[in-house]
Amino acid sequence: MIAHLWDRLADAKARLDPVQSKYRVLFENPADPEAPAAVLVPDPNFMAAALAGDVLPPIDTYIRDQSVPDGQPKEHPYAEPVGAMTEEEAIEYLVMKDISPSIWRDYNGNRTIMKIVPVELIPSDRSFRNAWKINQAEQEIAA
Amino acid sequence: MSTLNVANITDGTDTVPTGYVVNGSAKAWVNFNGTGTIAIRDSLNVSSLTDNDVGYYTVSSTNSFNNSNYSTSVTSNREVSTNYPITQHAIELGTGYVLVLTVRYDNGGFVDSNLVFVQNFGDLA
Repeated sequence: MIAHLWDRLADAKARLDPVQSKYRVLFENPADPEAPAAVLVPDPNFMAAALAGDVLPPIDTYIRDQSVPDGQPKEHPYAEPVGAMTEEEAIEYLVMKDISPSIWRDYNGNRTIMKIVPVELIPSDRSFRNAWKINQAEQEIAA
Repeated sequence: MSTLNVANITDGTDTVPTGYVVNGSAKAWVNFNGTGTIAIRDSLNVSSLTDNDVGYYTVSSTNSFNNSNYSTSVTSNREVSTNYPITQHAIELGTGYVLVLTVRYDNGGFVDSNLVFVQNFGDLA
């Protein structure tokens, strides 16, 4: 019998050291071009579970669950866990799980609206945070 | 992994139904730094934190909730540079995420806080 996902996460937190990812995901919402670029930060306990394997469900289960109505049974907590991922695979998993498909799958425009970058490229000075955009020429964030 | 299947928990003096503990425990929580290069200090059942703008974040859960009627609690530190109080708002709940705002009390402007805490209580999927 497969343990519930929450039980697997609690068990993983107890036995695995957290892993701070070297990467961040920058993305812009094509439906709101005035909004600044968002920065997705992977959770260290999530990363530890992804790198160790046998904790997280297949990403397809999350994608199918997005169309399940509120209150109806969802697939991902009970699915057979997947094996260990590389850090890059874990980031791609997070993109598909936590960023809208309208950004990573459906967008057909010319502008680069999503970028996986090393954390050093994210400005630590937030004085102009509301003006951050993905730099199209350099493919890096511009503050 | 072993499972204790019990109806009540007691310390020898007081007894409570196991449901008190199960229903009353946070099913997801996170402590993060919303200033500088924002980062998560520790968490349970969180997959990512998204920095949307000044004082505006998305906390995503690894194990979703059963519906959007769960409860969340958001707290934070004061603004460090000015010591102004900050109010915290959960402006939207989805089964797998919470949108959080931190707002300066005196002028209503969004502001970053170095200590932000989010706890979610409810029924998991």
